[in-house]
Amino acid sequence: MSIIIGVLEQGMIYAMMALGIYITYKILDFPDLTVDGSFPLGAAVTAALMVKGMNPYLTLPISFAAGAAAGILTGIIHVKFKVRDLLSGIIMMTALYTINLKIAGKANVPLFSLENIFDNKVLDSIVPEAAAPYQTLVMILIILLIVKLLLDGFLRTRSGFLLRAAGDNPVLVTSLAKDSGKVKILGLAIANGLVALSGCVFAQWQRVFDISVGTGTMVIGLASVIIGVNLCRFLPRVKDTFAVLIGSVIYRACVAAALQLGLQANDMKLITAALFFIILCISMDRKKKVKAHA
Amino acid sequence: MKKKMVSMLLCTGMVLSMLAGCSQAAKLSTVMAAGKETSSSTEELAEGNYKIGIAQFAQHGSLDNCREGFLQGLEEEGFVEGENLEIDYQNSDADMGTAGTIAQGFAAKGVDLMCGIATPAAQACYNAALKTEIPTIYTAVTDPVAAELATEDQMPTGNATGTSDKLPVEAQLKMIRELLPEAKTIGIIYTTSEVNSESTIKEYEALVGEYGFALETVGIATIADVPSAADTILEKVDCLNNLTDNTVVSALPTILDKANKKGIPVFGSEVEQVKIGCLASEGIDYIALGKQTGKMAAQVLKGEMKAEEMPFESITESNLYLNTKVAENLGISVSDEVKDRAAETFTEIEE
Repeated sequence: MSIIIGVLEQGMIYAMMALGIYITYKILDFPDLTVDGSFPLGAAVTAALMVKGMNPYLTLPISFAAGAAAGILTGIIHVKFKVRDLLSGIIMMTALYTINLKIAGKANVPLFSLENIFDNKVLDSIVPEAAAPYQTLVMILIILLIVKLLLDGFLRTRSGFLLRAAGDNPVLVTSLAKDSGKVKILGLAIANGLVALSGCVFAQWQRVFDISVGTGTMVIGLASVIIGVNLCRFLPRVKDTFAVLIGSVIYRACVAAALQLGLQANDMKLITAALFFIILCISMDRKKKVKAHA
Repeated sequence: MKKKMVSMLLCTGMVLSMLAGCSQAAKLSTVMAAGKETSSSTEELAEGNYKIGIAQFAQHGSLDNCREGFLQGLEEEGFVEGENLEIDYQNSDADMGTAGTIAQGFAAKGVDLMCGIATPAAQACYNAALKTEIPTIYTAVTDPVAAELATEDQMPTGNATGTSDKLPVEAQLKMIRELLPEAKTIGIIYTTSEVNSESTIKEYEALVGEYGFALETVGIATIADVPSAADTILEKVDCLNNLTDNTVVSALPTILDKANKKGIPVFGSEVEQVKIGCLASEGIDYIALGKQTGKMAAQVLKGEMKAEEMPFESITESNLYLNTKVAENLGISVSDEVKDRAAETFTEIEE
């Protein structure tokens, strides 16, 4: 039972990051590699602030803001300086490595002795003892639901529609007399904000910041998005944002199951890559057919 | 009625034969156990069955040695894998998220003890075990105090203790002075993201003066930076000194090649590095470190001590490893005194 709780916890933390990748990859059609830097950015900001004694709940919006700033910079590099999308992400990711180290002060910052969003005096006094094992899970669920509802709400606003249009049909955005570049920057800001927020929660959950925490963020996120969206296509009336959430939990469950089966973590990257490739091929196939009919 | 009787008889018959089978099996196992006891007279199996989860952060020669030593240490105390000990070994391939998943898995399965090898794995185990009664034993954590696994007085912060693989810095400096009486500057290449390297460099900074050296360091971010970093630093130093820095150690052949061309000796931090062409090293034996850790784990499993009551340990003695072939190539004369002191001397450079 507790292993399922562990999977759900980790899956839902990564789901916030996957939502960010959903915005860049699915909506904006922008392969954003900034995330490998903005995930640890959120964690680094959180670690630095918590060590200074800041209220752990306040680190959530601050991490989001830090990630958003990173996203805006990637956007500016791409839109204003006309650097290709993939490269602008790589530039930002590389820069963030140093910045993260500077923010955190060192490569590994333990947070064991500090109060965090899951474990603090106020929360412990409210939550009855019987519910204590689910305390962390419920907390993550609450944060995730708030994030998801806010994102759903945003996508229904005017700017949200423009965002979706910017990926599908940039000409439309321009014909509406809007700057599609600005819309892109906005999307990148929100996406990286979410990724950093996820990093913030992850650092508090793991009770440690480590510079290596961001390695492979992009792959985990993409896998979650692709698994979720492709699986949930067969279910009626499931929102993509919810599908991404499911995808993230499924991905984590697969990792946990593979480990339980005795698969070595060393082999897992290759298996992930293979799985990834197959799912991408299947979804690509559909796209081509659609184009052929069009 | 008759049918019922028959079936009942059959049933009792079956039960009886099963019991007989059982007792026979039991007899067999006692015989086998007796045989085992006579064959290994020094070791006695500890009572009960135990399950240990080992979380190793990455695939790495020293860390593998730690794990091997850990199992040996347990065995010496009567915990034998496959007999009364079940080992669940997982490697997180240098991924923090996976390390977390692994440690959570151990906690969920309710292992009797978790062993974390290398700092991030130790922290993941410690975190996963926070709300359980499961003790954590760690090894290859260079600075348990900086990792918040222990306080300044070496006592654990929670239900976790273990061993540190802190480098014997003083012994190393003394050895370098012995081999290179004229040298003035020691150079160190290190990865800025490795906490262990940073804390070791601080120690070097504090101690080099006592042995009449100056220190030059250059930080790198990835393995790709190694060649240019080596070129830069080799201009300024009389010898190079390696830490247990994972990235730098992986690029050691490049560094050795560049240093050899300039005739500058490179000192290692462990035996493997001396094998492949470092001049010498005052290093710790990772198998011995693992063994020491295994014995600590055995104490906890036996209930003699609680992890939270045990201060973390480190190996105080270091072993000198020497490569005479390298000395010959560089034209460095090694005194017999040093040669005699060496725990292991290599006469060839392994490719």
